Amino acid sequence: MNNLAPLTAAALNEYVSAIELPGQQQESSPETEIIFRLGAYVGSLIRVYPSLDRAMDKARHHIVSQEGENVSVANGSLILASSLHLSKGRFSRSWHAPPGGLWGCLILADTFLPPFRQLLPLIPGMACCEALHEEGASAASIRWVNDVLLQGKKQAGFLIEGFRSPRHGENYHLLGFGLNLNNDSFPPELEGSAVSLSQFLGRPVNISRFALSFLAKLRWYIGLLLFEEQQWLARTGGGVYEDEHPLLKRWKELSDTVGKRVLFGYDVVQHPQYEAVVGAVANDGALILNHDDGTTSIEHSGEIRYL
Amino acid sequence: MSDEIDFDEILGKYHSDPYEDVEICAEHTGKIRFLVEDGSSVESVRGEWKHIPGTPLFEITRERNPKKFTAMTNGVVASLRSELEGRFVEAGEKLMVIRHPLKKKEIIESILKEVLYIFPAPERAKYFFSLDVQSRIEKKGSRAVSVKPGDEIIIMSLMKRDTPVYYNGEKGVIHSVYFTPGVSVDQGAPLIGVCPADKLPLIQKIVTRVKADWDKKEEHGV
Repeated sequence: MNNLAPLTAAALNEYVSAIELPGQQQESSPETEIIFRLGAYVGSLIRVYPSLDRAMDKARHHIVSQEGENVSVANGSLILASSLHLSKGRFSRSWHAPPGGLWGCLILADTFLPPFRQLLPLIPGMACCEALHEEGASAASIRWVNDVLLQGKKQAGFLIEGFRSPRHGENYHLLGFGLNLNNDSFPPELEGSAVSLSQFLGRPVNISRFALSFLAKLRWYIGLLLFEEQQWLARTGGGVYEDEHPLLKRWKELSDTVGKRVLFGYDVVQHPQYEAVVGAVANDGALILNHDDGTTSIEHSGEIRYL
Repeated sequence: MSDEIDFDEILGKYHSDPYEDVEICAEHTGKIRFLVEDGSSVESVRGEWKHIPGTPLFEITRERNPKKFTAMTNGVVASLRSELEGRFVEAGEKLMVIRHPLKKKEIIESILKEVLYIFPAPERAKYFFSLDVQSRIEKKGSRAVSVKPGDEIIIMSLMKRDTPVYYNGEKGVIHSVYFTPGVSVDQGAPLIGVCPADKLPLIQKIVTRVKADWDKKEEHGV
């Protein structure tokens, strides 16, 4: 049975209107509706496949074929699959994507200004973490940049790859996501480091409902990213953005990274570089790492593992 | 790039003044307090991870928030604008110069930067050659790898966002690589230096000539 079949753009719109919007209106500012409008393109087109090799490759193919037919790619198009056969994480690491999880790729045209584009990778981890909290997994937290952990094990992973369309030269961000939901077995190399939501909760979850919650939150945070961009342009006309973005403020509430002793490396699994304590996260999202000798490093790129 | 290079003129310039003058400017507005004097020797950032800051140069206070700025290059402080001490400065205002003594390798690179097409980093990030370029470099060496406008040559990695960087300079071979994979590169800093394939012998001539000339100079203790 294809658990993703109920996921359509209409279902997402309905979910946002009935559940997500009233929820945010209770907690957030009067601009809630504007923020949802700005993010409304996320999931404006949803394509569900029973299985794919890689969702990122399918997204590239989709962009190329749309251009070939002289059709614009709908910004915010989503590719979802019940399972992936050739899925991989960063650095070609193993990523197991059997039926039972939520696997896909969101196509975003690069319409963000640089200081805001930099915060884009924070968003999927936040959307997933909040959806987990709502589902009852209140222990979920984010490890910089966007790994979602449950009891120290990875429940969800995200990666963003740039792609320039060959014909029109349009730049896209392909946001790949993999969420372990009802899939409850992992290959031996991932057994100790990965976990699914159903393993954590001890019960199966409704995948399509969880997916709607996750996608609605992606809409909200992408809308918030654009809303702050709009407000900043109106305030200053551009230049240097030095404020703490409301998105980052919320990310800090959802993350347990600050204060942790970590191992850092660009590819921390293959080439760990050094140990340090996370002192803070800077306004541009960079990690501020305090070394044992009292000095500090600022890292804009790389990975950490908690020690 | 001209085929004719006046080696004597270029080398003479570096012999008579083997320094690079690095201008230090205020990074933002605020009240300034200098922490060095004219003639002070300063150290660059150092450490295995470039995590030990250089010599503190000045402090700028804005809205009761003092921020220290440290040297990113070693050398001797010159042309310090001491008249600005305790005053409000604008972002970008020149504050001092660090006279950085050039080594042989730096002189060669400096000359090459004048004759190569320099492809700069679009953002502060970490950079890697794309898989295709990396495998060609591993097989044949970078100077056998040619690039042309539109080629995806480098991957920019920033906050787990990997973006292809497309080359937009002159067609040529990759002569110099200025970045180290996994080490952050500032926006605008050079990533690679490219030269047309037929100019490679000329570039090699420059390198050989500078090396020989500098070694001779060092032998004579000049």
